[in-house]
Amino acid sequence: MTQEISLLMDGELQAGEAGRAIKACCGDEELKRTWQAYHLVGEALRGEAHRPDASTRRIMDAIAREPTVLAPRWRMPARAGRVAFAAAASVATVAVVGWIGMQDRDAPAGAVIAKSAPTAAPVLASRVVPLHNVNEYVVVHRQLPNADFYQPVANQAAAGR
Amino acid sequence: MRFVAAALSVAALAAALPAAADPESDPLAWLQRAATSARETTYAGTVMHMQGERTVTSRITHVFLAGSEQERIESLDGPRREIVRRDDQLQCYFPDAKTIRFDRRVTARFFPSLVTGPLETIRENYRLALGKVERVLGQDCQWIHLDPKDALRYAQRLCAEVGSGLLLRAKTLGPRQQVLELYAFTNLRTGREVSRGEVKSTFLPQSRGWRRDVQPIEEPKSGSAGWSVASPPSGFRLVGEMQRLLPNRPHPVTQLVLSDGIATMSVFVEPASGPPQTSEATSADGALSVFLRPMGEHVVTVLGEVPPAAAQQVGRGVGRQVDAVIAPAK
Repeated sequence: MTQEISLLMDGELQAGEAGRAIKACCGDEELKRTWQAYHLVGEALRGEAHRPDASTRRIMDAIAREPTVLAPRWRMPARAGRVAFAAAASVATVAVVGWIGMQDRDAPAGAVIAKSAPTAAPVLASRVVPLHNVNEYVVVHRQLPNADFYQPVANQAAAGR
Repeated sequence: MRFVAAALSVAALAAALPAAADPESDPLAWLQRAATSARETTYAGTVMHMQGERTVTSRITHVFLAGSEQERIESLDGPRREIVRRDDQLQCYFPDAKTIRFDRRVTARFFPSLVTGPLETIRENYRLALGKVERVLGQDCQWIHLDPKDALRYAQRLCAEVGSGLLLRAKTLGPRQQVLELYAFTNLRTGREVSRGEVKSTFLPQSRGWRRDVQPIEEPKSGSAGWSVASPPSGFRLVGEMQRLLPNRPHPVTQLVLSDGIATMSVFVEPASGPPQTSEATSADGALSVFLRPMGEHVVTVLGEVPPAAAQQVGRGVGRQVDAVIAPAK
């Protein structure tokens, strides 16, 4: 059901399915919370302001004491303006999208890695350089199924394999 | 493949548990219950996982049959993919790429199974305390606080259902108490509400002709390809050492795995390629830190759910096995 809610947010359900999802969503406390949480996360990812109503506050309390962890420097994917949760999450599973300079909040945004002097402890970012080739290690370390690890069969055929 | 089975075996935890006066007020006993419950009970639910800026939702189904764990994790966001796990054997199905990946669980944090190591090690490196009891998913849930004794690991907040001990929520906190990573069940069924058939892969019937990717590959020959980590942070022990073939890389990559019972680090060593790099690099995203270090003809990459300083300490301690300070336990 949560997948349907996710699709509903994406506007990707047919009329009948959407009606069913909305009905289920509004009739079930848990699904209602899921719906609210999804919206909240979507807003956070898009860098929008949170609506400080009671339920939002409750969810945010549960999620984080510092919502900026979710919010900053999110790069708008192609479907700008209508980045629903499912879409954002599928972008997210590419493993490393935007790097946050955790130790250096003033570091330039985007795909960056903080360069540190060998003796600096723990991380004293002086400047940033592009990071590549680490995505695959993230996938291996987390042992998460990552479809991007493997070329879809259609692509292989196109590549003449 | 060299593995310290005990490090990942929850069954072995029991031996390490000291006799507690009152299990209800002993955080260590709660950790034990959380570990046992994640392994030995039956449950199914939707898990929301937030890491850094990303959120992924998956459905997890877990049954315990004849002393063996069987689990299915299905992604609900993005491309369809599925993990079927039997104890530490993983099968990952990628229907779009028509590929099955066979792997062995080493570093994976499969919520609610987050407590994987010896409780003694956890107690030596974290201050343990019980937090408040909160209502989560309609159940009473006991928060367990793990605060690091040094700056080389993150604090953990685990919420265990009072009746079963099963974790319903888990948070990793940064040094300013900010949430770096969060796991949460958004719905949960337990016991008889879950049928055994639910742990079978939905792709099994159609996957017969799929490509198979078996990882990790051969164990490195002792002493030849072997690397070791000198003076890792307190409590981090080598729990695995293997070689893997990765896409876009012509040579096998050596992976060492270190764990303190809660947090894990992977150390990757591969031959350097492309223009030589001279400087180290560090980054962090959510709870995950990455440290890169050129080392002569090799490149060392450390990844883990630890502060950047811990990844740096490990990365700078990597050397040939002859210099070994820590050897695989047992």
